[in-house]
Order: sequence, then C-alpha cells, then structure tokens
Amino acid sequence: MTIATRRSSALVAALLASSALAAPALAADKTITIATHYNQEQMAPLLACFNQYEAENPGTKIVFQQASYRDFLQTIMTARVGGTSPDIYNIYSIWAPQLIDSGTLAEPPADVVDFVNENYGKGSVDAATIDGTLYGIPTELSVYQLFYNKKLLAEAGYDAPPATWDELAEIAAKVTKKNDQGNITVAGYAYGPTVANAVHVFYSQMYAAGVAPYSDDFRKTNFLDPRAITILERQGKLFADGSTSNSVTTDSFASSGAAMAIMANWQKQSLIDAYGDEFEATVGIAPIPDDGAKPGTMLYSFLWAVDSASKVQDESWALLKWLNSPREGGLSCTGQMLNDLGALTGNLGDLAAMETGDFFTKPFVDAIESGAAKSQPNVWQASEDDRILRSYIEQVWAGQMSAKDALTAADSEVTAILAEQDN
Amino acid sequence: MTDQQDRATRYGQAPAPLPDLIDDAPPLTLRQRISSKSVAPWIFLSPMLAFGVIFFLLPIIFAAYISLTRWNSLTAPRFVGLKNYEYLLTGDPKFWGTVWNTIYFAAGTLAVGIPLALVLAYAFTRAYGQAFWRSIYWLPMITNVVAVAYIWKFLLDDSFGLVNMALGKLGLPGPGWLTNPGIAMISVILVFVWMQLGHNMLLFSAGLANIDESYYEAARLDGASESQLFFRITVPLLKPTILFVLITNFITGLSYFTLMLVLTEGGPVGATNVTALYMYKMAFEDLRMGRASAVAYILFAFILVVTLIQLRVFRRGGVEAH
Repeated sequence: MTIATRRSSALVAALLASSALAAPALAADKTITIATHYNQEQMAPLLACFNQYEAENPGTKIVFQQASYRDFLQTIMTARVGGTSPDIYNIYSIWAPQLIDSGTLAEPPADVVDFVNENYGKGSVDAATIDGTLYGIPTELSVYQLFYNKKLLAEAGYDAPPATWDELAEIAAKVTKKNDQGNITVAGYAYGPTVANAVHVFYSQMYAAGVAPYSDDFRKTNFLDPRAITILERQGKLFADGSTSNSVTTDSFASSGAAMAIMANWQKQSLIDAYGDEFEATVGIAPIPDDGAKPGTMLYSFLWAVDSASKVQDESWALLKWLNSPREGGLSCTGQMLNDLGALTGNLGDLAAMETGDFFTKPFVDAIESGAAKSQPNVWQASEDDRILRSYIEQVWAGQMSAKDALTAADSEVTAILAEQDN
Repeated sequence: MTDQQDRATRYGQAPAPLPDLIDDAPPLTLRQRISSKSVAPWIFLSPMLAFGVIFFLLPIIFAAYISLTRWNSLTAPRFVGLKNYEYLLTGDPKFWGTVWNTIYFAAGTLAVGIPLALVLAYAFTRAYGQAFWRSIYWLPMITNVVAVAYIWKFLLDDSFGLVNMALGKLGLPGPGWLTNPGIAMISVILVFVWMQLGHNMLLFSAGLANIDESYYEAARLDGASESQLFFRITVPLLKPTILFVLITNFITGLSYFTLMLVLTEGGPVGATNVTALYMYKMAFEDLRMGRASAVAYILFAFILVVTLIQLRVFRRGGVEAH
C-alpha cells in the first residue's frame, strides 16, 4: 500500500467514524424557526415558553425571527425565494388568501383543527378560515369601538357618549376648537393617515349599520348599499363642518387633541402611558354610533400558520398547540403575551382567564362574546382593495367627490380585482 | 491542390509556391496569454463586468420579462403579453395622475432649486468663509431622509408647527402645508430643494471657479454693473454647468420618491403620489411585480426620451464639456 493510498484510507475511515457519531445527533436536532412582527420585549413571555419547550423536548431548538409589521409580507416572500423561509409565521389574516393561493401555508392536522374549533370564538375562527378551510391558530384580536374623551365632552356639556351618528356630529361640532388661523387645535372627531384609519373605520361602521362590506362569496362589494353611501356622506360632512381635518389624526386622541375616534383596543397601553392616573377619568369606550341598528363592529385577527415548505411541520403544529393550550396559571403562553400587551385573543379560555372586566376592555370583550364583532373579510388582494377604497374615501373627505360617485368608482376597481381570483 | 494551382497546371505554368502556413513560433504559455495586451485588460475589467452583468444587465432583462407576466413573487410568473402596459396606459385610473405629479415635482424642483442654488453659489463666491457656508448648505444632503421628513412634519404641522406659528405672529393665515391637496406638492418640492441645495451649490461653485476673473475686471473697467456681470458673464460662461445640473436634477426628480414615502405617503388625496412611489407600492404592498415592472419600463422610456430631448436641445450649450 502506498503512502497516498494509506492516507486516503485513513481519511475515509475518519469520515465514516465522524458520520457515525454525528448521525444520531443530526436525527435528534430539529430547529423550528418562528417569525413574528412582535419585538423581543413584546415576545418575552413566549421566549420563556420556548426555553421551557426546548427543555421538555430535548433535540428541539426554537429560533425567533422578528420582522416589522410593515415589511412582514416582503420578508416572507424574500425568505421563500431564497429557500430560507421560517417554519411558523404569525400573519395578519387578510394576507392569507394570497399566501394560500401560492401554496405557502400548510393545512393543520385534524387534531389542531379540532383544538381550534373547540377553544376559539367564531369570529376568530372565521378570520383564520379561507374558502371553508382553517389555516392556522388565531392569536391577537383587535376590535373597533368608539373612543371618547370624557373630559372634553363634559366641557362641552355632554355627560354621555353619542348613541347615534347625528349626536356624534353635534357633539363633535361643539367640542371643536380652532386657533386664530382657523386651524383645529381640538378636533371633535379624528381619522388618520393610514389605510386602516379610514377603511377599518368604514367597515366597522358598515357592520354597525347592519351591512357587511363584501358579499358572502367575497366576489362583490356592498359599497353601493344605501347604508354605506350614507356612512361616507356623514364622514364627509364632519370635514365640511370643520369638526375634523386631515391634520388631526387618531394620535391626537392621546393628547386630548381629539374628542372622539373609532379605534382598536390595542391602543390601551399607549393611552395608559399618556394619561396615567387620569386614564379612567378621561377615556371612555362606547359602541359605534349608528341609527339604532343592533350593535356591530369589525375585528381583525392574526394567526399562527405553518409554512408548507417546512421540513418540521408536525413538530411546528405540536409546538403551536402547546403554546396555545392552557397552563396551570390559566393563560396559555400566547395568551400570556397578549395579556401583557393589553391585547385580546380569540382563545376563549385565555379570554376568560384575562382580566377583562375593566371599563376599557369590557366593551371590546362584550362585542366578541356577543358576536357583534364580525371578522374583517379575507378578500382577495385585501391590502390593495383597502388602499383603493381609502383613496376614494379621502376624495369625499376633501369634498372632491360625492359619496355615491366615490363608492361607485371604488366598487368598480375592487370588483375587478376580486374577479382575478377566478382567472 | 488549390484552385489556383489547378488552374496554373492546366495552362502549363509552374505552380506558385504554397504560402508558409506553418508557424514555427512556439505556442504561448498560459501566463503569456494572460499577460498579453488582448487578454489582460479583460481580466482587470472582469470584476466590474461581472458586477454590471449581475446587478444591472440581468435585472433589466428579468424586469423586461416580468413586465410581460402576472407575478406575485410567490408563484411562477404567468405570461400575459402586453396586458400590463395596456392596463397602465389605458385602464388604470391613477397612473396618469401619478405621471402628472412626477412631472410637476421634477419641474418644480428645477424651477425653484436651480436659480436658488445658482444665486447662492454666486453670492458665496464673493463672501468670506466660503467653505463654512458650503458645509452648512451641504448638511441636509448627509442627513437621513427619514430624519428630514420628521423634522419637516413638525415644522409644517397645521396647528402647532413653527412655520404656521410664525405666520400667525405676523397675522398671516396658516395653510395646511402637508394636508391641503393643493399645497402638499409645493411643500414637498420646497423640502426637496432644501435637501438638494448644497449639492447643486457645490456644482455651481466648481463651475464659477473656472471662470477667469479677468472677464469681470474687463467688464468692470467698461462700467458694467453687478447684475450685468451676473447675467452677461457668469450665466453664459456657466452654461455647461447649468445644463449639467438641469439634466441630472430632472432625471433625479422623475425617479425620486423616498421623501414622499416618509413625509406624505403620497397623500393627501394622492396629491404627492409620484409614479415611482406608485410603482413601489404596487410591487411591495400589492405584490404586483409584473405591473410594477411595466411601470418601471414606462418610466425608463419617459426619462430616456426627456433626456435625449434635453441633450439635443442643449448640445450647443456645451453640455459635453462635463
């Protein structure tokens, strides 16, 4: 045997030996990557749970990745193109139709479907369901209600929130203050610059008026329903009356720069920070005013989903089920995180274990439990649809279009987009 | 036998000798080939060429293909021919509005920014502490655009902004700088001009330094006033620089959108929604990569045509000097 041959044999033997040693370790090591829009601080309770799960399941490693909410969908896209997609996502429910159409999301196993159906409220299950198929485990719920500043209303002579939109308009006009230049310093009512600030509010008002924004099959809009047109006309009138303007945003509510706004419950912590001890004396929550229809509003939801390309799908679903199951303290790991954030959940067990009886949270929970809060429709190209609708709503606010013309144009564009899902 | 030899033999002539086809020189070694004048330059250029092909040529070709497809980047592209272009040019209710906003922005930045930068550069060439002033005016260029946008948002707030408060002290009305659809684009133009002023001033300063002082001395001896010096000597001799700044600023203006993205998000009522911003949202919010690529190509064609016209019109102005 030559020296070279001997060296080769030794190398092969060494490689075989190292492979044999490594093989059991490789078989046992499973890494589950979880991507969310929550940051490290917000994720703290869940990160502690990840450590516990790793300790209880030797060989399983959990890696957390954070991406900003704004870039989350792009991050998923880029990761999939690069073959580095996470195993578990926490996604906004309206992204689901396109992710499902592209085969990105895996269907949960039967035990997870049963788990969700048994433990979650209908609104949140609907939000995680596309075309009759459940695609994940619901997590954070956000519900819209009317926020009002008790002190500003009291200064204007009102000791109760408006029950109808006419009352709201009357109070808003009376509360509004302007400076010498005619610019609003305290607005009666506030919208905001984001798509949600206009569109979610519009949808919530539609539900409050008893009409869903889209048809049941999500192929048509209900924007041309007379009730929808009336809602937008009334919004435009608030601008025309000078009770609000583009320069006033929902952020103004936290500085008593706006007396009323339709906002979601996740604002709670920022309002506590803003008002401190005066929080309860200042902030009030009421159902969205309409003309006496049954209370109604909109909720939107996030959900845990698993990537269809994941090589650890079974382990991922098992982890998710564990993270959302009740613990000894009552709250699940996910429930604990949402509770600490001041957020709500569709998990009925968590909802019962959370302290939701305070003046702020109770109206939101009531809306979930009573079914008054309807899920945001998971329509095709929802982000684009919403952006188009916002652009037309803005034109009504600016007095450039009538509500009917604006909603006719929005309906035409959005319906064309909805038709794409069948092509 | 070659045709020529065959013909010579046929007519009784002695065949012409065969050319020496065998090269006796030894073949070049690999090292010699690499160091030869025909190969070495390409080797030195290869990193840049590879960079250009990977990051410019291939994306351009890929974008051209994608513009003919419907693609959301998650599934395979679906060929749709020229439908994206057809929709944008004939069916999209917003596209032409964004084109108008783009032209408005680009032209506005030129109309306000170029004369202002020229006058200031001219003034500072005659002032003490030129370097100091240049540095001051250059500062916005090195400030992050997000920081710039936040500062100006505070300054231009309708009710509590410093600008309107100052106007209020003077008894003047306080417009909605960023909230009035009729004014918002003007505000964006002014902020952009403020950001770009130092850059343009620097270019003009370099051009002004190349003008021989003797022209001014001669003109002064002939009794020329300061304004005559500026309009009769400075401006004509600075024409190549002016044209260079005009063309580069116009191209920048046509494809710019970052300031609008962070300052106004294209609002209010789409008043500051320029084509590049529209394309960005189309691609990364709506996941319409095909249509967004078509917008990119239309914008590219538009910029190309405008640039060619500018070069043609201004050729006599000596823009080639740059």
